[in-house]
Order: sequence, then C-alpha cells, then structure tokens
Amino acid sequence: MAAIDDVKQVLGETLQLGDRANGFTADTPLFGAIAEFDSMAVVAVVTALEERFGIFIEDDEIEAEVFATVGSLAAFVDRKLEA
Amino acid sequence: MTSLLSRSELDRPAAPQPFYLAGSAGPLFCLLQAPAEATPRGALLYLPPFAEEANRSRRMAVLQARRLAARGYAVLLLDPFGTGDSAGSFHEARWEQWRSDADRAAAWLADRWPGTGVALWGLRLGALLAAALAAQAPDRFSRLLFWQPVLRGDQFVAQFLRLRIAAAMAAGEKETGQALRAQLAAGEVLEVAGYELAPELVAAIEALRLEELLASLKGCEIDWLEVTTAAEPALAPASQRLLEEMTRAREPRLSARAVAGEPFWAIQEITLAPSLLDATDALFS
Repeated sequence: MAAIDDVKQVLGETLQLGDRANGFTADTPLFGAIAEFDSMAVVAVVTALEERFGIFIEDDEIEAEVFATVGSLAAFVDRKLEA
Repeated sequence: MTSLLSRSELDRPAAPQPFYLAGSAGPLFCLLQAPAEATPRGALLYLPPFAEEANRSRRMAVLQARRLAARGYAVLLLDPFGTGDSAGSFHEARWEQWRSDADRAAAWLADRWPGTGVALWGLRLGALLAAALAAQAPDRFSRLLFWQPVLRGDQFVAQFLRLRIAAAMAAGEKETGQALRAQLAAGEVLEVAGYELAPELVAAIEALRLEELLASLKGCEIDWLEVTTAAEPALAPASQRLLEEMTRAREPRLSARAVAGEPFWAIQEITLAPSLLDATDALFS
C-alpha cells in the first residue's frame, strides 16, 4: 500500500487528529470508530485525497467499506492511482 | 492556548452592535464592528460561506472584524436571507436574493459613513457573492478581499451534495449523485446536511465562475488569501492556474498568497487560523 503514509497524513490534517494519526496502522478502524469522522469529514477527506493524488472519486465510490479502516482507504487510493 | 488579542484590541474592546437591516425579503441580521474613530479609514462588508461553513467560520469572521476595527475600519457581518439569524428559511434562499441583500448592506455602510470606500470581503462561496455583486456595478467597489475563494460553483455543489451521500453511507444506505440531481431537476427541494436546498439556488450557484465574474472588474484591487496545511504554504494548483490566466489577461491588480493554517470552515471543532488573521491585518495596516 504505497499510499498509506499519505492517507494517514490527510486523515490527521483533515480530522484534526494531531499526533493520533501517527499511531494509525492499516487495521485502525475509521468510520464509526473515530468521533471526528462525521459525514462532513468524509467529504473533506475525499476532497483532500482528490487534491493530493490528482484523482477523481465518483459519488458512487463513497462507500462504508472504503472508509472502514486506514488500510481499506489506502487500498482504495492505490486502486484509483493504478486505474 | 495563547490569547489572539493584541494590545490595541484590549485597549479598545468595542462591543459589536447587532441590528436588523431591512432587506427586500425580510429583516437581515447584521453585526457591526465599528472603530473607535468617528471616521473610519474604510468599511468592509463580510459575506459568509455556504450552509454549515458559515457557522464553523463565524468565530474567525468576528475575530477578524474586531482586529480590523482596531485598525480603524468599520466591518459589517451580514447573514443573508434564509441564513443565520435573518428572516426566511434556507429553502427560500435564492442567489439573486443574497446578491440583493449584500447590495443593501453595502449601501447601508456607504450611507452610514459617506465618503468612506466600501470593500467586500468574502469567504469561500461568499467570495463568489462578493465578485457577483462587484461585477454588477464595476465602479462601485474599489477593493475585494477573498478568503479561500470558491472558483467554480459546479464543483462546489458537487462537493456539497457529497455530504448527503456520506450521511447515507453512515446510515448504512446508498445514494447516488445522479438520483439527487434527478430530484433537483424535478424541481424538488433537496435536504443536505440539515439544509433544504431549492433547485433554483443550486442551479444559480452551479453557473458561477469566479474567473468570469472578475473579468469585468477593471480597476478593482483584489487581495486573495488561502490557508493550507502544507509544510510550505502554496496556493492551490487550481487557483494558481486561474491567477496565471488573469495576470496574462492584465486583469485587475490582484495579489494572492497562501499562509499556513487549518481549513477552519470545514472543521467540526471551532478552529482558528491565526496566520490568516495576521495576513489580513497586514493588508489593512
């Protein structure tokens, strides 16, 4: 997962997590597990990922499975980068 | 947390004056931050961003208004129709109404202090509103201040509709942008993140292009500030492209820069961007 460090950085900045994001691993649960991760935060993360990676995320791709863990989100970004 | 108040603000803790301005569709809530001086060095009208962004950034707007007042400027913070403490419900809000409200508020400032130039200060979608009002009467405003301006209305709407898609995701449901657009196309009000959007408002916002609005503004000074969390602050690539085009076309004097800070308008927790306040102070020193 090439994108995981960048994804952690985007999460840390967008959700205002401070140092907490540094301790994230691929298994860290996100949506429903982190209080700051509300729907506005999801949109902010999606937008920040698009800007950082120069990718376009379709509305239909905003799914709970993608945002389940740090790893699932990074894997999604990797798939977008390969596409 | 250190205090953001400078000495001059502590010396002159002028209380902001709330009042209602008669808008064409109903009373508009205004907060006036007047300077200690009888004659301000200038006046600014603040136009807020869209929906929840307005609430999240209110503290920044109030703080900046107070700092500008300490520098001798009069600042009016406006809640356009259907927002904040003004009359009307959000689903009744229309872009043309907001432009008319901003027009009234600017006229109020010009009346209150005749001879004092009125500048428009807009955050995010408020910057587009400022540009739209200025474009209507190109000689009326000599100065615009943009904070993190929205460049394209269609992209902004697409991002806003995503809030509903993300909320559906949280509820274990599935919604598509296509279905939401179909609902708007059918003339139905669409509820997104607690805000009821009228199809007319959405269509008007989608048609907005900052570049087009600014093209008609000859001779208007524009200051453009963005905040970024990047280690080395730089303007967003999309902003850079637009600014390069405009500079080539010899459009109005325009200076733009990015400062380090959090995207306070998008953050749930009330957040400040002190560097943006400082950079704005420097523009009005």
